[in-house]
Amino acid sequence: MSTAERQAELALPSVAERRRKKRSGFADNWWRHLVALIGVVIALFPVAYIVSAAFNGDNSLSGSSLIPRQLTLDNFRSLFGTQRHTTGHATFQNAHYLSWFGNSMIVAGGTALLTVLLSALAAYAFSRFRFRGRRMGMLTLLLIQMFPQLLAVVAIYLIVLNTGDVFRFIGLNTLPALIIVYLGGAMGVNTWLMKGFFDTIPSELDESARVDGATPAQVFWGVVLPLAAPVLAVIALISFISTLNEFVIASVILETQQKFTLPVGLWQFIDQKYSEHWGPFAAGVLIAAIPAALLFAFLQRYIVEGLTQGAVKG
Amino acid sequence: MAEVIFDKVEKVYDNDVHAVHDLSLEIRDGEFVVLVGPSGCGKTTALRMVAGLEEITDGKVSIGGRVVNDLTPKERDIAMVFQNYALYPHLSVSDNIGFGLRLRKTPKNVVEERVAWAAKLLGLTPYLNRRPKELSGGQRQRVAMGRAIVRQPQVFLMDEPLSNLDAKLRVQMRAEIARIQHEVGVTTIYVTHDQVEAMTMGDRVAVMRRGELQQMAEPHKLYNAPNNLFVASFIGSPAMNIVEADVMRGDGGVAVRIGDQELPVPEDVVRRRPALSGYAGRKLALGIRPEHLEDGILSRNGGARLKGRVLITEALGSEILAHVEVKATPVVTEDVVEGAVVDEAEHEIAADLLESGNGDRSTFVGRFDPSSQVRPDDEIELVVDTEKLQFFDLETGHAIHESAV
Ligand SMILES: Nc1ncnc2c1ncn2[C@@H]1O[C@H](COP(=O)(O)OP(=O)(O)OP(=O)(O)O)[C@@H](O)[C@H]1O
Ligand SMILES: [Mg+2]
Repeated sequence: MSTAERQAELALPSVAERRRKKRSGFADNWWRHLVALIGVVIALFPVAYIVSAAFNGDNSLSGSSLIPRQLTLDNFRSLFGTQRHTTGHATFQNAHYLSWFGNSMIVAGGTALLTVLLSALAAYAFSRFRFRGRRMGMLTLLLIQMFPQLLAVVAIYLIVLNTGDVFRFIGLNTLPALIIVYLGGAMGVNTWLMKGFFDTIPSELDESARVDGATPAQVFWGVVLPLAAPVLAVIALISFISTLNEFVIASVILETQQKFTLPVGLWQFIDQKYSEHWGPFAAGVLIAAIPAALLFAFLQRYIVEGLTQGAVKG
Repeated sequence: MAEVIFDKVEKVYDNDVHAVHDLSLEIRDGEFVVLVGPSGCGKTTALRMVAGLEEITDGKVSIGGRVVNDLTPKERDIAMVFQNYALYPHLSVSDNIGFGLRLRKTPKNVVEERVAWAAKLLGLTPYLNRRPKELSGGQRQRVAMGRAIVRQPQVFLMDEPLSNLDAKLRVQMRAEIARIQHEVGVTTIYVTHDQVEAMTMGDRVAVMRRGELQQMAEPHKLYNAPNNLFVASFIGSPAMNIVEADVMRGDGGVAVRIGDQELPVPEDVVRRRPALSGYAGRKLALGIRPEHLEDGILSRNGGARLKGRVLITEALGSEILAHVEVKATPVVTEDVVEGAVVDEAEHEIAADLLESGNGDRSTFVGRFDPSSQVRPDDEIELVVDTEKLQFFDLETGHAIHESAV
C-alpha cells in the first residue's frame, strides 16, 4: 500500500472520532470523571493517613483522627534529633535516620542502575546474537524466576556469611552484599522484559550502524540503548521502588544500626506492640517517599516519549 | 579503484535454504549494476554478503582487489541504503547523516562540511535539525541516501530503496539516485524486483532467478537479446508474447507456423542465426514484443500478418494496448510463468495455467498507435515486424542467438 493510501485509511476514522467527541459534553462523560475521582481517592487514602500521622502530636494511631487535633513538626525533629528510644530489644538513636536514608539511596540507586545495565546487556545478547544455549538460557532465567526470593532467604544468608569470610566487602552487614542479592532477584524478569522491547527495535538499525562502522559496543551504547530509553526508565523505576521497600532480606543481611536501610530501621519504631512510635515512623516514611517521587518525575518523559517512531517506514 | 567481484559465491542459510548458487559477477569501478529478479531469488542475500551482514558459505567476494570474506562490515568501507531506511530516530537529520563520519573520529569541522555538502546535494538543507519522524517518506529516503554518500565509501549497496514510496515519487527518486551516483561516481549495486527500475537505472542489469544468475548485460541487450525464456518474459512490460511455432523450410525460405497461420522469417534473420535451420520440422518458442505488433488497418503495405480477435483494449493516451486472441499454443513452461508473474495475485492464475497444460489459444498483447480504432470483439489482422522475432529452444529455454554466440 502506498503512503497516501495508508494515510487516507488512517485519517478516516480519526476524523469521524473527532466529530463524535465534539458532540459529547460533560453529560456524556460524567462517569469518566467519577471513575477518575474514585481512583484518586483510593490512591490517596493511605497517603492521607501517613501525612496526618506525620504531623500529629499523638504517637498512637488508634486514638488519632484523620485530621490531627494539633499540627506539629515534632515527629520530624525527633527523626533527626539525638533522643534515645528504648523499644523491646534494642536501644537506638533517632539520629540513625540519616544513615538509613543514605543506605537506602545507595542500595536502591545502585540496584536500579546495575539492574538496568546488566539486564540490558543480557537482553541485547538474547535479542541480537544467535548462539548455542540461547533458548536454554532464556528458559532457565524464567524458570529460576518462578521461585520467590523469599524461599532462598536461608541459602542467601549462608552464602553471604561464607563469602564474607573471603571477601569482607560483600559479607554480612555490608551494602554491596545486599545490592548483589537484589540484582540476582529480578534479573530474569527484567531481561525478558527488555528482550521483548529490543526485539521491536528493527535490526536494520543495528546493521546500518555496523555498516557505518560501529563496533558491537558502539551499536549497543549509541543506537540500541537510547532507543530503549522507555523500557530502561520503567525498569529503573520499578527496581528502585521495590528495593526501597524490601524488608526481609535486608533485615537478614544487615545487622547494625549504621548499616540499616529505611524499612529495617523504621520498623523498629513500630516494632513493639504498645510503645509504637507511629508519628516518627510516618514522618520517616514520608521523607523516604520523596526520592521515589522525584525519580518518577524525572523518568516520566522517557517513559512517555515513544522514541522508535520514525526509525523505519511503515 | 573499487570493482566488486563475486567469484562462484554460494550461500546456504542455517535452515538449508540454498539462497545463492554459483554466482559470478564482475562489477566495474564506478558502474551502476542492478540486481533484479522475482521475490525470493536471493538478491538481498547477495547484497548482504557484500556488506558483510551475511556469511559467505563458499566462493569469494572481493572489493577493490581485496577478498573481503572475513572482513567486518566496518573494514569493507561500504555504505548501504536499506529498504526501510533504518534512520536513527533519536538523532537529528544532520546527526544521522554524520553518524558514520563521527564513528570514524573525523574532525568536527570536516563532519560539518561533509554533511552540509550531502544535504545540499540532496536538497535536505532546511531539514537538518529535524528528527526522522518529522519528515515525509521521500525526505527520509533522501536522508538514507545522504548517510551513504557522505562517507564517500568504495561501494554503495542499495536494497529496494524506493519500494516504500508511492509511484510518482518513485519515478522522481529514480532519476535522483541515478544523478547522484553519477555525480559521486561510486560503484553501486542496486537491488530491486521492479524491472522498470532495473532497466532505467542500471548501466548493466543482472537478472537472477532461484539464486542463480540468468544473464548480466546492458539493458538494451537484455531487452533485445535475452538469454533464455525466463529473462525474455521477465524483462519488458507488457511482457513478450511467447507462443509455440513450427519451423518450416520451403521454397520461399524459412517460415514459422503459428496455429494454422504462417509467418515468413526474413532471410537475414535466418542468416544471422545459423542454428535456426536446424529446427526445421520441429517446434520452438517464438517471442514477439508488443511493440512489434501493429493494427493491420494502420499499416498499408503488406508485411506478415496474423488474424485474431480483440479481447480488450487499454487506451493509455500515447498508445493503445490491444489484447488479441490468436489461434496458437501458448508456451507456459515454468520459466515463462515465473518470469511473467508480477504480483502475488497472479500466482494462482499461473498455477492454473501450468496445470491445465497448453491450450490452443494465446493472447497477444500489441502496442498499437493511438489512432487505432480497434474495439473488443473485432476480428483484426496483426502486422508482425518479423525482423524482430526472437527464438528459443522449447526444451532448454535457451535463446537461439544471433551468429555463433
Ligand atoms: N535469514 C535467513 N534465514 C534463512 N533463510 C533466509 C534468510 N533470509 C532469506 N532467506 C531465504 O533465502 C531466499 C532468498 O532470500 P532473499 O531475501 O535474498 O530474496 P530476495 O531476492 O531479496 O527477495 P525479495 O525481492 O522478496 O526481497 C529466500 O528463499 C528466503 O526465504
Ligand atoms: Mg530482498
